[in-house]
Amino acid sequence: MTNHWNDIQFSDCMLVIGGNPAENHPISMKYVTKAKKNGGKLITVDPRFTRTAAVSDIYAPMRSGTDIAFIGGLINYVLENKLYHDEYVRKYTNASFIISEDYDFEDGIFTGYDEDSRSYEKSTWVFERDEEGNIVKDESLSHPRTVYQMMKKHFSRYDVETVCSVTGTPKEDYLKVAETFCGTGAKEKTGTIMYAMGTTQHTVGSQNIRAYGMLQLLLGNVGRAGGGVNALRGECNVQGSTDFGLLFHLMPGYIGAPTQSERHQSLDAYNENETPAAGFWSNKPKFLASYLKAQYGKNATKANDFGYDFFPKGRRNYSHISLFESMYDGEIKGMLIWGQNPMVGGANVRKVRAALQKLDWLVAMDLWETETAAFWKEKAGSNPAEVQTEVFMLPAAGPFEKEGSVTNSGRWMQYRWKAIDPKNDSRSDSWFAHNLAIRLQKLYANDNSEIAKPFKAMDWSFGDSDYPDMDLVNREINGYDLNTGRTVNHFADLKDDGTTSSGNWIYAGFYPDAAPGEEKNYAKRRDDKDTGMENYLNWSYAWPANRRILYNRASADLNGKPWSSDKEGIWYDKAAETWTGYDVPDFGVATSPSDPGWENPFIMLPDGKGGLFAAGMAEGPFPEHYEPYESPVPNAFSSVQLNPAVKIWGGDMNQKGEAADFPIVATTYRLTEHWQSGSMTRNLEWPSEIMPHMFVELSEELAKEKGIKEKDKVVISSARGEIEAFAMVTKRFKPYSVRGQKVHHVGMPWHYGYEGIATGSIANYLTPHIGDANTMIPEYKAFLCDVRRA
Amino acid sequence: MIEVTRRQFLKLSGATAATLAVIELGFDPKKAQAASKELKIAESKVTPTICPYCSVGCGILVHVKNDDVVYTEGDPDHPINRSTLCSKGNSVRQLFTSDRRVKKPMYRAPGSNTWEEKDWDWTLDRIAEKIKETRDKTFVTHDDGMPVNRTEAIANLGGAALENEECYLIVKLMRSLGLTNIEHQARI
Amino acid sequence: MAYAKLVDVTICTGCRGCMVACKNWNDLPVDTRDYQGSYQSHDKPNGKTWNVLQMKEYENQSGGFEWLFRHQACMHCEEAACVKVCPEVAITTTDMGNVVIDQEKCVGCTYCVQNCPFGIVELAEYVNADGEKAERAQKCDMCNDRIHEGLEPACAVTCPLDAIVFGTKEEMLELAKERLEEAKLTYPDAQIYDPPGVDGTNMIYLLAHPPEVYDLPPNPKVPTSAVVWKDYAQPLGKALLGVTTMAVFTGFITNKLFNKEGHGHDTEEGGEINEETKQ
Repeated sequence: MTNHWNDIQFSDCMLVIGGNPAENHPISMKYVTKAKKNGGKLITVDPRFTRTAAVSDIYAPMRSGTDIAFIGGLINYVLENKLYHDEYVRKYTNASFIISEDYDFEDGIFTGYDEDSRSYEKSTWVFERDEEGNIVKDESLSHPRTVYQMMKKHFSRYDVETVCSVTGTPKEDYLKVAETFCGTGAKEKTGTIMYAMGTTQHTVGSQNIRAYGMLQLLLGNVGRAGGGVNALRGECNVQGSTDFGLLFHLMPGYIGAPTQSERHQSLDAYNENETPAAGFWSNKPKFLASYLKAQYGKNATKANDFGYDFFPKGRRNYSHISLFESMYDGEIKGMLIWGQNPMVGGANVRKVRAALQKLDWLVAMDLWETETAAFWKEKAGSNPAEVQTEVFMLPAAGPFEKEGSVTNSGRWMQYRWKAIDPKNDSRSDSWFAHNLAIRLQKLYANDNSEIAKPFKAMDWSFGDSDYPDMDLVNREINGYDLNTGRTVNHFADLKDDGTTSSGNWIYAGFYPDAAPGEEKNYAKRRDDKDTGMENYLNWSYAWPANRRILYNRASADLNGKPWSSDKEGIWYDKAAETWTGYDVPDFGVATSPSDPGWENPFIMLPDGKGGLFAAGMAEGPFPEHYEPYESPVPNAFSSVQLNPAVKIWGGDMNQKGEAADFPIVATTYRLTEHWQSGSMTRNLEWPSEIMPHMFVELSEELAKEKGIKEKDKVVISSARGEIEAFAMVTKRFKPYSVRGQKVHHVGMPWHYGYEGIATGSIANYLTPHIGDANTMIPEYKAFLCDVRRA
Repeated sequence: MIEVTRRQFLKLSGATAATLAVIELGFDPKKAQAASKELKIAESKVTPTICPYCSVGCGILVHVKNDDVVYTEGDPDHPINRSTLCSKGNSVRQLFTSDRRVKKPMYRAPGSNTWEEKDWDWTLDRIAEKIKETRDKTFVTHDDGMPVNRTEAIANLGGAALENEECYLIVKLMRSLGLTNIEHQARI
Repeated sequence: MAYAKLVDVTICTGCRGCMVACKNWNDLPVDTRDYQGSYQSHDKPNGKTWNVLQMKEYENQSGGFEWLFRHQACMHCEEAACVKVCPEVAITTTDMGNVVIDQEKCVGCTYCVQNCPFGIVELAEYVNADGEKAERAQKCDMCNDRIHEGLEPACAVTCPLDAIVFGTKEEMLELAKERLEEAKLTYPDAQIYDPPGVDGTNMIYLLAHPPEVYDLPPNPKVPTSAVVWKDYAQPLGKALLGVTTMAVFTGFITNKLFNKEGHGHDTEEGGEINEETKQ
């Protein structure tokens, strides 16, 4: 989230799209309801009528996989009707920048496309520069190649008629959404977009979010109370686990993991090629050196590039789908899993199972016997005698049987204290990691080979107890001034000369200025007094720098005054010559009106301006609608059917379904009563009791066509397989009219599996191995299926 | 306007948080005991935690009595949820009371159709050996003349449900071992 | 003073936190049902599941579609049929206006089950202090132990939206009226449900639509026979015939009057009454 949960109450309009907060983040509705009481409007855009839709002022159905068409239409509506926040757009975004003459777009393809590699060469996606290298601008926005004009041209194709014919949204509903949400372009108003995996789990997932970001920039809704682009996220610490780099392509704090390439051949090469000249990331070498110091301790010296060579360099994409593809190909021999359950949660589960069967060994640590730990059993569809995998199932301690912090969607790092000793013979995951590290250190103690070296270089100093000392772990994450031994105050204290360490620079400052033995963990703060605009600055700690609303400089106008009096964030105090307010400024506090950066609120970007045109994306600088991998209709916007930059997986078990065989659009989702792959809820009696059975939701019209009656058992089939579920015939599903064609859709929860109290078919037997072009997040949310009575 | 007030808890400052057993309750537990039916949370030890389910980050109080979790409820002081919880958040008590938890380290031998109970010592040794064996067989120190120090034969998955400190320790260990296949739920 | 729970269905989002909080506080047993065909878990509250969220699909008069959520539990009637028909005085109204059942006194005759105008009370297994099991009437007691210690009912505490609020009946009616004004802007038929036929209830609703839409009786009443019996005949009888003799009559008469199902309980009943007459 750019903002945070309590902040939603200040919104004039909440657009829920690709999310379902009433079901998946129920407590957030406290703030949605508060906003509504103050006159705010709630809009739900969703393929099906959800519990959020039930309390919405406006519900607009939208065929799954058509967000860009839907939002593109809103962008067009804003531009055509001049509803944008004029000053904000002119000054705080790159609307006035002039795009290179070499850039073009035609029939769904941007310049630089290479069909063979299905990727873009992006050298034309740039701005015109003058002789001194400065970007050429036209603040009147009239130059035909300004971002503003090019954007206008691009989205002029997204007229209401075309958009509604693609999304299947009734035109009057669409216009209500447009009028209501785009009304927040007024200077004194803000609107928020609340999204989740309904947005990301598409082949165009990242561009969906780009489209939201653009719309919010146009309406002047970023950096402001009640505004923002807010990823609601799905797990208690998915923010933290991402921050800490549990992803192949990242080191902690979003520093890109080095790869086997010339660009990353050495620390110098990495720094040179990965550090922008301006913006906050210009400090990257300091963050990286400090991270390597935390990783390798005394073994990280200036002479050895702080151990940069020890750090593994990958040579390709190792993301989730790729990982299971290479496991299936026999390249991965062993796997450790900590509280994850890919036999239920992974896409294309038949392939996941086949891949797991090829492992030599598998370690699964969880509170429960998960479907993954039990993949070798007959009930999983395996023949145990043929599965040669050694499997270790380790009992994990529950969340209040151990201590440590979790970071919520609003980036609040909150401490969990230990309430009771671990149940049975279970241990915390940190205990296991700690003890495994120590055993491995013993195994390698007398090994002086080149292979042993990188591992032996690791610094592992978390005390002599059986459990790692959490306080020491926290200090290391925060970072030290290695000269004084005190913890650092701020990431600005970090250096690139090896005199500081920090395990995760974005968290530097949560444990500030502490001498050895002095406890100062701000994640433990519990002062619930409102410090203004419900930012609760003394409750826990929000990264970065305890900031609650990102880009909050944009909450103030060109004079440094809040755009609206009831949505104050930070402001410039002329007398004191400093930025101040209800939040920690996301800006140099001493930046004065005479400083060149005064009008550049987006300090993480080199030019400081919100990017309406952005070259960082795999498939183009402007979002463009493409149909899902499996779609019942041709693309109305161009002759390019599928996102031209996605990787298409061939090989076994990657069948693609065609509309002739599988005419129905399917989507998957979560329910209030269960969580993720269900192991944490389907093993409990209470949630199992209130949502006990796997079902598929379908419209009365489809049920009639298929002769399906309420409570019938039905079979749902896709090109990857078929599953059984109970039919839930409901008025909450309605067929779509898409370009004159009737399109049926069904939906089902993906929580169920064969372990636990509440069991049922695994929905992910149906989903394909195809991912977003930027993130490779699988397209769980739109694929083709058929339905019949069992 | 409502006379019956929600239970008030004393503030826990960062400094005193380590000794949470001394949380004071806003009502008199002795009085509660004197009531005809003993209030089930009377004289329980109360510890704050954060809900393990979605990412809103609601505060929960865990009531422990006689080595059992007797009740869990929304933390009235938590600025986000202010004592409220949804159906999942209200279920966390059963994470402890459930008899379905894995009780001991379990091992399944190749080709076997059953689990065997093992102790931690054996299990840790065996897993460490497996990791070393696979790593040593597949480790690449240089590729194309460049130091790469990696193994692509071991994968690590998880966990968005773990704590930050756990994530940090796991990443630290796995990167030091040379893993490139590090992924978790955020990707899917 | 009478206390009441206000349930404002117009803002409920159906998270069912109330259902689990109830199970958690009251340590209620598991009660899983076969597939119901919708998100709703149980057809109605029962002895093991004291509150059930109704989830109803509804097409309103203007053709709009709504998904209605309603927290259902004991209504805690001011003039409670269950209290009146209970031959064992096992069901009483406390000083705070909530209706509670003493399972130690209950004999499982089901008269309360049969006469509850809202179909809330049901029998469920009860285990006494000696570990003996019996089927006894059970239902929401408004967290009797909590409210008498100054704590709100578990469902009210946990509701994220204050769709369930607890306070004095007077305050709750006042709050309901305030909210009604607001609700009417969205739902013209919005109304407060505090039915006079049972002299008002201590769980009151703010409904978006007429009660029938939610399968609530529009005008619930305590059966006349129950009123005549409990308020006139029984006290009079006790005075004229003495407590012991009257108890025998009680068994006979309540069976005739309130055992609508007309099966099952005669023998058992007689046994219990004989026990009582011995005392």
